[in-house]
Amino acid sequence: MQYGLAPGALDENIDVQSEEMLVNMGPQHPSTHGVLRVVLRTDGEMVLEAVPHLGYLHRCKEKIAENLAYYQYIGYTDRLDYLAAMNNNHAWAMAVEKLADIEVPLRAEYIRIIAVELNRIASHLVSFGTYGLDMGAFTPFLYAFREREYILDLFEQLCGARLTLSYINVGGVTWDLPPLFLEKLTEFLDYFEPKIDEYNDLLTFNHIFVKRTANVGVTSKEQCIRYALSGPMIRGSGIPLDLRKDRPYSIYPNLEFDVCVGEGLKGTLGDCWDRYYVKMLEMKQCIRILRQCIKQVPAGPFRAKLPRNMKVPPGEVYAEYENPRGHLGFYIESQGGAVPYRVKIRGPSFVNLAITSELCRNVLLADVPAIIGSIDIVMGEVDR
Amino acid sequence: MDPKSYFKNIVDNVTSIAIGMKITIKYCFQKTVTVQYPEQYLKFAPRYRGIHEFEANRCIACDMCAKACPVDCIYIDKSAPRKIDKKTEKAVGGELLRFAIDYSKCLFCALCTEPCPTDCIHMGKLHDLSSYSREDVVVEFAEIDKQNLRTPIPLWMERNKEKIPWVKGEYDRIKAGKLATTAADIPDVK
Repeated sequence: MQYGLAPGALDENIDVQSEEMLVNMGPQHPSTHGVLRVVLRTDGEMVLEAVPHLGYLHRCKEKIAENLAYYQYIGYTDRLDYLAAMNNNHAWAMAVEKLADIEVPLRAEYIRIIAVELNRIASHLVSFGTYGLDMGAFTPFLYAFREREYILDLFEQLCGARLTLSYINVGGVTWDLPPLFLEKLTEFLDYFEPKIDEYNDLLTFNHIFVKRTANVGVTSKEQCIRYALSGPMIRGSGIPLDLRKDRPYSIYPNLEFDVCVGEGLKGTLGDCWDRYYVKMLEMKQCIRILRQCIKQVPAGPFRAKLPRNMKVPPGEVYAEYENPRGHLGFYIESQGGAVPYRVKIRGPSFVNLAITSELCRNVLLADVPAIIGSIDIVMGEVDR
Repeated sequence: MDPKSYFKNIVDNVTSIAIGMKITIKYCFQKTVTVQYPEQYLKFAPRYRGIHEFEANRCIACDMCAKACPVDCIYIDKSAPRKIDKKTEKAVGGELLRFAIDYSKCLFCALCTEPCPTDCIHMGKLHDLSSYSREDVVVEFAEIDKQNLRTPIPLWMERNKEKIPWVKGEYDRIKAGKLATTAADIPDVK
């Protein structure tokens, strides 16, 4: 059976040639973060080639969108990138609002940014915790999930769900902020801010962790642009590409925050450690944004008045969005009426995953989980 | 590797492990954040979206919730048109033959509760119903309303109601046909 590998291609760089072996990593491997299957062509400890195989979680999300009204699809966007459901809801709502030319009340925008940035922290926490797990550090994972639990509790008060949130809706948000929510959020932020330094002591600057991740899976700036990477992947390589800053949407122009980039602190610029560290820095920026939002959130309506059977004018629209993992894009083509004609989703982790085979060339077998973990994929969004 | 960097490596490893140990030992003497379910349990938020609660005596079977559902998991059948009696606020007219929700499909998105004109369908607090067969996943709300229940009683609740106090409280509430969240449960804005 052909696995899409170059047949009989021997690598000149390795001194000792032994017998090559195909190793099937996944779809149930714990460090492939879901149902990713990677076929590795190995020579002893060396991985000569790695080819990711997708499609184990394909659920026809784009086709389903053609049969559903715009507001009904919100529940499906939750299940794309299930670690950042708020961000997906926001991106979809933004795309529909752009298409139908709906103005969102200012309070709704602030509530949205609060929800979205909280979810970005939660997503980065999972990413950091499971990356530690891949590298053999169990404790940071438990600490990350402990803090994530507080965020999920906040979400439960906000919208009643913990994972599949369906909160941000076309025209605003589904419910207003519950009473005393902002106080609880401030309490959480005060509790959470020193915890990031604790994570840094525990994992980020841990010598063993640095040895495992620094100088591994180096992505050059050219490669990043060639592969259209986004999110922490491209920022880890030192390119300050962040849609919240570059092509600001919602109320991001009113908010102050920095775009964190990798600096090659522990090894080469653009290695796994840099990509990981960018996420840790970003969590601090999220806290900064949240603190500003808490101060600025105005009174007013939380949802624009829209008819139940909203008719959308014909046209096409592409809305870009900065997900925790990169650029999330929704392309909608409408021919008028209540349902879209075609929906195309540009998933950030799907695009980021494309570089796997290039990064996993001539690396040690133990580095493959380090590289795949640093790409930070969510298979629900890769396969859609 | 020269001896100097060899020993430096060992020293670095030991120090970073010591730093980590300092943090974990600190947590040894702090209060635990986990609870011992099922003896203890966490209280749900007032907006929690669990298995639905349905008031059949107020339902006019207008199909609005079924139309709003993204996955078409609500089945409604009536014998004749129903409408709300203004005095008693109860639905009169034809009989509500069937109101069923297929929980193998349900997304728990709460889109069904929004368009309801009589506000008779709510998201409840139960999240852990299970069944032995696929047919039993479909909950017939019109049938269980005849036993004066708003939401189905899970098997585990039936079995553990004598052993665990909070389960007894929940069991009694469902048995009495009370809703999980009423307006009194939601605290006012200060």
